[in-house]
Amino acid sequence: MESICLLFLSVLLFGAAAFLSLLFRRLGRAARYTSGMLAMIASLVGGLAAIRVFVQGPATFEFSGLPVLAHFAFGLDGLSAFMVGMISLLAFATSLYSTSYAEEYDKHGPGELGFFNNLFIAAMLLVVSVANAFYFLIFWESMTLASYFLVIFEHEKSESVDAGYLYFVIAHIGTALIMLAFLVLYQHTRSFDFSSFRDATLPQATKNLVFLLAFFGFGAKAGIVPLHIWLPRAHPAAPSHASALLSGVMIKTAVYGIIRLCVDLLGAPVWWWGVVVLLFGAVSAVLGILYALDERDLKRLLAYSSVENIGIILIGVGIGMVGMTIKLPALAVIGFLAALYHAINHAVFKGLLFMGAGAVIHRTHTHDMNEMGGLARLMPWTGLVFLTGAISISAIPPLSGFVSEWFLYQALFIGSTADLGVLRVFGPILAMILGLVGAMVAMCFVKAYGTTFTGPPRSQLAEQAREVPGSMLAGMGILAVGAIFLGLGAPLVTPFIGGIAADLAKVPAEILTNGMQVFPTEISQAVLSTPLVLILLAGLLTVPLLVVALLGGFRAGQKSDTQPWACGYGYSSKMGVSASNFAQPMRLAYQPLYGLRALLQKPLDDIAAFSRKVNDALPGAEPLLERTASRPLMYTVQYLGELIQRMQMGDVRTYCLYILIALAVLLFVIFR
Amino acid sequence: MTAGSLIVIGVLQALVIAAVAPLYSGFARVLRAKMHSRRGPSILQNYRDLVKLVKRQEILPAQGNFIFRITPYLTIVCALLIVMIIPILVTESPFGWVGDMILVIYLLVLIRFFTSLSGLATGSTFGGMGARRELFISALVEPLILLVLFVMALLAGSTNLGVISTAVFTGALPYYATVWLGMISFSFVIFVEAGKLPFDLSEAEQELQEGALTEYSGRGLALMQWGLYVKQLAVVSLFLAVFIPFGSTTTLSLQACLMALLLFLLKAALLYAIAAVIENSMARLRFIKAPSVTWIALGIGLLCFAFYLVRV
Repeated sequence: MESICLLFLSVLLFGAAAFLSLLFRRLGRAARYTSGMLAMIASLVGGLAAIRVFVQGPATFEFSGLPVLAHFAFGLDGLSAFMVGMISLLAFATSLYSTSYAEEYDKHGPGELGFFNNLFIAAMLLVVSVANAFYFLIFWESMTLASYFLVIFEHEKSESVDAGYLYFVIAHIGTALIMLAFLVLYQHTRSFDFSSFRDATLPQATKNLVFLLAFFGFGAKAGIVPLHIWLPRAHPAAPSHASALLSGVMIKTAVYGIIRLCVDLLGAPVWWWGVVVLLFGAVSAVLGILYALDERDLKRLLAYSSVENIGIILIGVGIGMVGMTIKLPALAVIGFLAALYHAINHAVFKGLLFMGAGAVIHRTHTHDMNEMGGLARLMPWTGLVFLTGAISISAIPPLSGFVSEWFLYQALFIGSTADLGVLRVFGPILAMILGLVGAMVAMCFVKAYGTTFTGPPRSQLAEQAREVPGSMLAGMGILAVGAIFLGLGAPLVTPFIGGIAADLAKVPAEILTNGMQVFPTEISQAVLSTPLVLILLAGLLTVPLLVVALLGGFRAGQKSDTQPWACGYGYSSKMGVSASNFAQPMRLAYQPLYGLRALLQKPLDDIAAFSRKVNDALPGAEPLLERTASRPLMYTVQYLGELIQRMQMGDVRTYCLYILIALAVLLFVIFR
Repeated sequence: MTAGSLIVIGVLQALVIAAVAPLYSGFARVLRAKMHSRRGPSILQNYRDLVKLVKRQEILPAQGNFIFRITPYLTIVCALLIVMIIPILVTESPFGWVGDMILVIYLLVLIRFFTSLSGLATGSTFGGMGARRELFISALVEPLILLVLFVMALLAGSTNLGVISTAVFTGALPYYATVWLGMISFSFVIFVEAGKLPFDLSEAEQELQEGALTEYSGRGLALMQWGLYVKQLAVVSLFLAVFIPFGSTTTLSLQACLMALLLFLLKAALLYAIAAVIENSMARLRFIKAPSVTWIALGIGLLCFAFYLVRV
């Protein structure tokens, strides 16, 4: 109960931040600070709400005083609290970051930016905690609209507006499908409450229908391939701290929706549901990262990589679902654990990377990695936090991405030994695909970090960059620490997330840790200890240091060269590898898959073109109204006016005559 | 085996491999020279090179940042940790309580991540090209490594390398077609990971001036080369541990350990010799043609997986 109150308080504070920001919109700086600071306090309160749930257990709240269509019901269970915690963490970091970063948008109206941003966060908090389908849809729609305005915030750029259209259309197709899913459920239960969905006994065909509607409905928001096309355009178009929220947490609310509806409420009754989820996940993972590799727009690269990460999360969810169906608790728990762990990891490192990209763009005013280079020397702290994010996302031990992918491999291993043919085939294949994705992610982020922060500066803008202000660094620093903690602190974090996963799978919690080790329910299957990996790596450092010291290497000294060797020719920064040619071999080797993108993009481009046509037609709609309604009216007025004009001839005598006639008429009327 | 003795064995493995890795690369050099009918360098030449390089002044590229400096240390450290996890002398994984084969694979990714990043960081054309090739090739073989090791892990019932090694050693996992096919496809991985012909693409000496290593000099170059030698031997020992663990010991006596060490050194030497024969009878692949060979390897890997599926 207290936790729900805290959550409401947090939402109210976000609301207050939104409106105060709008109120101060003319003051620029004041608007930024009010919105940022209040939002930080609000997210702390939100975080507190999540912690209370972990300490005191789940809470529910129902307000039946409202004489409206549905119960105003809320519920904070482990999953909701996890989502609330994730949103609060990202909201805190991005709000801190935005106090300085939003300066970039002072001319666009910082007030409006704060307004939409805070409303967006508030709507997300409500989406993950509401327990009634009717209000869920209302909050879902508010979230979509608020984020739509963030996407088109730079509305003078036609690409932002186009991206906004595409987002608007696909998001609403998704919402329509979700709405249909809920209506089908309403048809059978005569209630919008989640609790009645959970208790209802539905025919299997209905369940299947609801699953498909919900999966594709939420999938449109999550950005699964082939419904992902809007994502790499819309996410980069928003201001960077909003991109961090869009990519870091908003797409997770869609994953939350899939888990809530298909796992929690419907209980994943048949195995093919899970298989559908994990196959779409696998396709999204491979294609997402393949397309990310091809990008030279830094933010778009990050957005494509979100498609890949959503794919990885969905593989975990799918495996968990199959585990639930075939009553294999270990599989269900480890599958959901991997999915949720990767969800929080992705929120942290993608938030961090988007903010890092924002910092770079803030200073160089370009999105193009070919124009960057060498920024680590001019922006050392930004470079360091971006590198932390890049290492985490590349699943390099011992940071965070590795832990969740490790659990995913273990889930695949358990699945491959399960008594279900489909998993026995797909388990090792998916492990192979995950390996491919891992290698491509490493390539992608070597490219992202390497061409942006190292090597020679490739443009004047990159040469003149300087470090960003402290509040931006602090915002990124929080998430960098988070990424390190989620990796090294795996033995501390795993039991928490494992508990939530066990609740979801409706099985008792499993033991997953042993001192500094984590293991996938069976210690004999595998163990991992990220803190020990770090300790050992640090300890082994003595070997090379000792060898160099003994041989007198440290006395040899160092000297800095002026430029790299270029076969005797004068060196030019154009000689280094740039962002656009780095992945060229991949383009050749995976040509058909890149062709697929063009094919997928076609119909969606048509949608965008159509929307644009509608928009262009809107000015044309105005004359239509004029022709049908206002023009006849105007003619009438004109005609009447002409009639009156005839009476006004400008002759004083005629006017005297009018007066006399009027007098006569009046006298006649009075003395009749 | 007690935890304490396993730690000792693990550290011993790391020290031995670190010490003999340059010898094996020297051995490969000698064999190569003999096949070319040259006199070739002494088998100890690599040690002399390393010692001399360490004493030389290090010249850092103008563009190089801290990544360029830490990469040599990271490379050698990660390669040593890999060696400590792989069962070499005993059939158990000495540092198996730290991680499993997935950790080993991702430590290899770590090495690759940083070597290519440092190549890119120099701003040199060759460094960048080397980085690009290194990562591209890894995208081709990574799926293969995972598939084959995953199948072996499924057969043994654990992703712990020690369990896999023990299962093959004791015969609980007999050599039937699946294992043979896995062995064949995994041997491609050795060539790629060790940067041997026909996959000598990212550090191609004649073509790319050693790729990512181009701008290294002095102790940086020494550590980098030493690290890569250790990594080569680590990949070879991974192959031996999973597919040919015979000779490892299950009992813990000084005599048994020495025997196991001797046998391991012989097995590794044999593999290096076979690799040298293959390497020297081949030309380097054109970089862009490499996928056609790795697809074949992946095909064999998939065949291994198919055999695994139908067996049960």
